[in-house]
Amino acid sequence: MTIVLPPEMPNATPSTAPATRCGRAVYFDGTSSAKNDVVVKAGATGLRITAAHHRVLDEWCYAELRRMSAPEGVLRLGRSGETLLARLEIRDAALIAAIEQRAATLDRGGAAERRLRRKVVALSLAAGASLVVTAIFGVPVLASRIIPFIPLAAERKLGAAVDKEIRGVLDTRHLGPAFACGGGPGEAPGRAALAKLVGKLETAAALPVRLRVDVVRRGEPNAVALPGGHVYVYDGLIATAQAPDELAGVLAHEIGHVAHRDGTRTVLQTAGLSFLFGMMLGDFGGGGAVVIAARTVLKSSYSRRVEAAADAYSVDLMARAGGDPHALGAILARIVGAKGDDKDHSMKLLLDHPETKDRIAAIDAVAASRVTLPLLDAADWNALKQICSGLPAKDTTATGAAG
Amino acid sequence: MTTADALSLAPSAGAVQFLGSERAYWRLRIKGAALLLLTLGLYRFWFATDVRRFLWSNTEIGGETLEYTGLATELLGGFLLAIAILVPLYTVLAGTALALDTAQQATAVVSFVLLVLLGQFALYRARRYRLTRTVFRGVRFDQHGPAWRYALYALLWWTIVIATLGLAFPWAQASLQRFKMRHTSYGDLSGSFAGSGSALFLRGLPIWLLVVGPIVCAFFALGAVVDWNALNGMMADGESNPLALLVGSAGVRVFIIAAAALSTSIASALLLYPLFQAMMMRWWISGLRFGAVGVTSRLRTSQVYRIYLRFILLMSLFLLLTFVLVAVCLFVVNRFGPDHGSALAEPLTSAIVLGLYVFTALGASTIYQVAVTLAMWRLGAQSAELSGAAALDAVRATGAASSALGEGLADALGVGGI
Repeated sequence: MTIVLPPEMPNATPSTAPATRCGRAVYFDGTSSAKNDVVVKAGATGLRITAAHHRVLDEWCYAELRRMSAPEGVLRLGRSGETLLARLEIRDAALIAAIEQRAATLDRGGAAERRLRRKVVALSLAAGASLVVTAIFGVPVLASRIIPFIPLAAERKLGAAVDKEIRGVLDTRHLGPAFACGGGPGEAPGRAALAKLVGKLETAAALPVRLRVDVVRRGEPNAVALPGGHVYVYDGLIATAQAPDELAGVLAHEIGHVAHRDGTRTVLQTAGLSFLFGMMLGDFGGGGAVVIAARTVLKSSYSRRVEAAADAYSVDLMARAGGDPHALGAILARIVGAKGDDKDHSMKLLLDHPETKDRIAAIDAVAASRVTLPLLDAADWNALKQICSGLPAKDTTATGAAG
Repeated sequence: MTTADALSLAPSAGAVQFLGSERAYWRLRIKGAALLLLTLGLYRFWFATDVRRFLWSNTEIGGETLEYTGLATELLGGFLLAIAILVPLYTVLAGTALALDTAQQATAVVSFVLLVLLGQFALYRARRYRLTRTVFRGVRFDQHGPAWRYALYALLWWTIVIATLGLAFPWAQASLQRFKMRHTSYGDLSGSFAGSGSALFLRGLPIWLLVVGPIVCAFFALGAVVDWNALNGMMADGESNPLALLVGSAGVRVFIIAAAALSTSIASALLLYPLFQAMMMRWWISGLRFGAVGVTSRLRTSQVYRIYLRFILLMSLFLLLTFVLVAVCLFVVNRFGPDHGSALAEPLTSAIVLGLYVFTALGASTIYQVAVTLAMWRLGAQSAELSGAAALDAVRATGAASSALGEGLADALGVGGI
């Protein structure tokens, strides 16, 4: 579409308007790639594009001019709302200046473009901040709201799938069925004692799922709860415990994970984070590092909250079962003391558990102090200590820490 | 500068040049990296648009520069559309995997194949978006043809490439390039691809022999040294760790053979990578055709080696700088920072570690983009020479701009190009 301009009317514009300017340019009409060497006349209301012999090829109003991307020193013009890609390329600096002065749409100096960019950056910053806030506060809340709608059967199924994986990872000595303690010679009394201890806690906890606690042959002082109520206690933990209530405290902590359905919670939170930080914020050339860093920080913040909740549950459950709620703090202090707390200070960030000192302080703050009887008598406790005695323990120092 | 070909009428009719200055590109990249960091990547649509504008508008073919007409908002729209498609798809895939617990392996394989197909679909559609946003002399490029067919085609070829340990790679490339170029046009000038898979195979075979060859040899050598009886015996005893099985049945020789093969292979790969890049680029550019217009590339391998050597030098300097920065940070924190064990110490350490990590990653990516990607673009352009460029003077415009869905999908799936 060509808008036909009235003939030049210098009198129609105020005298402040600059004089008309002419200059050479290259013109493509948008229907073919033929190159036209033209003369461009910058008039009062628009450009007149003239080929040889004064043949007028086109006339463009200033209001419809658009600056297209071009190399340094070239003004490339197109027209807005035009499906044809007609282009005018001008290298004449004086002519460029004259056109830029008259056509406000050309955004001389790029001020309008810079304003737009600042707005985009500000909006992106706001959107990024809102996504981070959603990740910190929204994702855990959403996960808690969704959990009641996930049937326990699905959680058991998830637990069974995780169990297969985790057994393969933990069983580094390839013991197979013998990986779990209690089946070997002389181990049966230990199993009975464990069942007694677990029974007391389970009765007090009144869980909607059946607990299954297995002691496994691993040297580290640790325990893991899987979704669906399956708990693995490493025999290293039993060796570290100096009283039955210390072991019971850790068990109660793991039962807390089961009661709070933390396995399912982790799956949901990870999915939420993957969506927010994998898809919305996306990985851009090499900058995926930002996203990975943000995810690491958020994950550890989630797990701190989850661990603190399980600690509080342990204190409460131990009190209800008639045990010593402080015992969890005591065994935690011993485990950390043996490892040497501040050895890997800079790696704290990657650890799942909150600062042990803070945890112990939190446990002692909520636990009531009163004299209690041990949850197992001396004979049962000795039997439980022997639960893994059937198979001679191999050197387990080579196995890495887990859980 | 190109030396004028005696046969061509106008001296610069077929010359290709790159006009952009590296300094300007450094500025563009560094500013973009900083904004990406601040906006957690949301700025990437505007950044990609700026980069393309720079690369396109500084590429001059026969005296006229290319023009990129795409808009950042189009990329953002394409991305949002892709999210709208992918979220339900991921949900269905995850739901199926949970529901069919007996066939978990099968669902994983089906999901993987589906995502690979979608990725190739996205690459093809993204190429279409970029081509229809590329204007030259007032006429746009275009790409047609069904993206799904390309995706199936690509999946099939990549399966063959993997099955043949890379030997089929030249023919796969030739076939996929033919597909792409056959469906590409500049106005009414149809594209085609003249590169031959067999020629590429013959040129690339020495590289393959040096990189993949040692591993194949090691495989056969291991077959010869393994004591099969001992192996069977151990398997009967219930040993399932493959490493233990190998060591038990073949002894320490396993490690010697494997280490020799791997180190030869990795060293060859690192040393020959620029050679491979040069070979591929020369082959690809020389194969491009638009009607009667052909391209020949006079790219020299030594030029590509120079690019990579400069990259290594810049990277070393950057890593040295980072190292100094780490040392200074540690010193300042230890000297003036909060006491060990105070509540502030841990968040501060975390912030410094993360900050350095992000700084290093973004810095390395920026250096790579300028020192390698831009340099290769410039080299590819300046070593090219058009033949029959007169045909470019009378091309009639066709086609229209396409949607940015492919770009969005490619972005969301993480398979994007330029």
